[in-house]
Amino acid sequence: MTGLAKYVARRLLYMIPLFLGISILSFLVMYAAGDPIRIILLGKPNVTKETVDALKAYYGLDKPIPLQYVNWLWNLLQGNFGRSLYAARPVNKIIGSWFLETVKLQLVSIILALVISIFVGVFSAKRQYSKLDLTVTSTALFGVSMPTFWFGIILIIIFSFNLGWLPSSGAYGDPVKWWGDPVLDSIAHIILPAAVLTYVSLAQNIRLIRASMLEVLRQDYILAAKASGLRERSITYRHALRNAISPVVTYLGLSLGGIIGGAPITETVFGWPGLGRRFVDAALQLDFPVVMGITVIITIMTLVANLVTDISYAVLDPRVRIE
Amino acid sequence: MSGTSKARRGASQWAVAWRRFKRNKAAVAGMFMVGGLIFVAVFGDFLAPYPGRPHPGALRPLYDGEASQPPSWKHPFGTASVGYDVFSEVVHGAKYTLYVGFVATFITMGLAILVGSITGYFRGLVDDALMRLAEVFLVFPTLPLILAFTRVYTVAAGTTYWNVMGVNIPVGLTIVVAILGAFGWAGNARLIRGEFLRVRELEFVKAEQALGADSRRIIFRHVLPNILSPVIVVSTLTVAYAILSEAGISFLGFGDPNAITWGQMMQENFIDIRIAWWTEVFPGLAVLWSVFGFNLLGDGLADALNPRLRE
Repeated sequence: MTGLAKYVARRLLYMIPLFLGISILSFLVMYAAGDPIRIILLGKPNVTKETVDALKAYYGLDKPIPLQYVNWLWNLLQGNFGRSLYAARPVNKIIGSWFLETVKLQLVSIILALVISIFVGVFSAKRQYSKLDLTVTSTALFGVSMPTFWFGIILIIIFSFNLGWLPSSGAYGDPVKWWGDPVLDSIAHIILPAAVLTYVSLAQNIRLIRASMLEVLRQDYILAAKASGLRERSITYRHALRNAISPVVTYLGLSLGGIIGGAPITETVFGWPGLGRRFVDAALQLDFPVVMGITVIITIMTLVANLVTDISYAVLDPRVRIE
Repeated sequence: MSGTSKARRGASQWAVAWRRFKRNKAAVAGMFMVGGLIFVAVFGDFLAPYPGRPHPGALRPLYDGEASQPPSWKHPFGTASVGYDVFSEVVHGAKYTLYVGFVATFITMGLAILVGSITGYFRGLVDDALMRLAEVFLVFPTLPLILAFTRVYTVAAGTTYWNVMGVNIPVGLTIVVAILGAFGWAGNARLIRGEFLRVRELEFVKAEQALGADSRRIIFRHVLPNILSPVIVVSTLTVAYAILSEAGISFLGFGDPNAITWGQMMQENFIDIRIAWWTEVFPGLAVLWSVFGFNLLGDGLADALNPRLRE
């Protein structure tokens, strides 16, 4: 187990420069357009220069950019994300509950997508070029061609407006309809957004698992297992899948950023009170501290997700731990 | 892909690829879908019954008392609550879709080829640094950053149109496209780098080096022409990706209100989905048509040009 611990420690160290890199990048490009106060006041000619200067001093924007970055980072390390330019509240006070809602939605759909895609991918690979296999592969290409938000809109039109089965927006709201049970209420609210997110990552996952399984099933040791009379199911799931899953796990880790980054779209369509939708609101208002704060949180979420991926990768495949 | 056996039959590698492409039904379907999109984009003004916004004629259905109407013979895709004909707007949107797809891909591929060539050819320290950077771009959620930058630079730009030789180019849309292109290079650069590493070890490149050719000649005359087919394939897929991304960005309200793209239409009408589903369904179908077309075409080209790229 010490090998694994060392491995985790190395991955943790590797994250520090990554985090610094992404924060500098986003800070620089964001502020390269000019200082936020000036941009916000572009269409408002009646603000006096004194007011602008006072605002700049209040938010520390009168200092040189490198110093602003260091200040911002220093505050960040103490858990202080700065003040929202609009809400007049510290950013970390408002971010907490959004964060939990986003994690809830993402976790449900990542797990669902993984489980479903393993079954479908394995099934499809075992019957390569069958009717079912062709249906799965072409549906997958169709899936990656569809705008996520449009799929969500279609589901809302069908299931919320025409059939009236599920709520069209929010994460909770009318428990009365669900026999006064808040749990059933939140399940009803999560079904549609989770279905959209699951479907989106499903397409890629299935294509990958299928390809990876096809390669493993051709190996000699599978033939040997068959020859020694092991049951088909045991060969597929215990011997083949364990080896086929490693590249999929790597890919999943790489794609987590994209999945988390896609949150603004799904959350906006379904009015989900999470980080993504707040990010959209803050970015439209040019609320820089909130935008930077959410970017940092999303970055950390991605890093943690990657760490978890790396660890499970190392658990699945002991060769990885030695480098 | 020198294809000596094919040369005997007197066919170039492109003719061989075309033969292989024609046999692939999905690829041909993709080609026709993309062809249809280009046709609509070019002849949009003749096909659409109403002019596009901001032309005042676009709102004629409103003055005729025909706002928020479901699809009919007169308005095949219905009308929006603001009062324009959805079919006409979808037709006018096609040219923006092509603009987005091609310009973003041009920028992405330009950067990807630049980075891919430098890292794949020179390797060493530059390679390490640039590939770490590519990793950051690949792993991190780029959409939020793209949204923030788009908003900041669109507001900072101020103007709405650039007049280039009598054609009005929407500034906001161009900024969206430029940022989209600038963020998409990493995956493609890695792929091109891989191709570079493969080709530069081939005998003819070694021979050229032995003959004393300089790096520029080797890169431009020998390596790049040999990786043309993967570049064509990923470019096609990148067009699909760019169209899809722009639709999402515009839908979230970060697009250009002066360029009515399909995503922009869906953003405007989102509040009306309960009363006018057709204003959302048809622009979305148009996006799906284009993206699916480019994806099918890209997959077909991959099969035809470079069987090695397929699993």
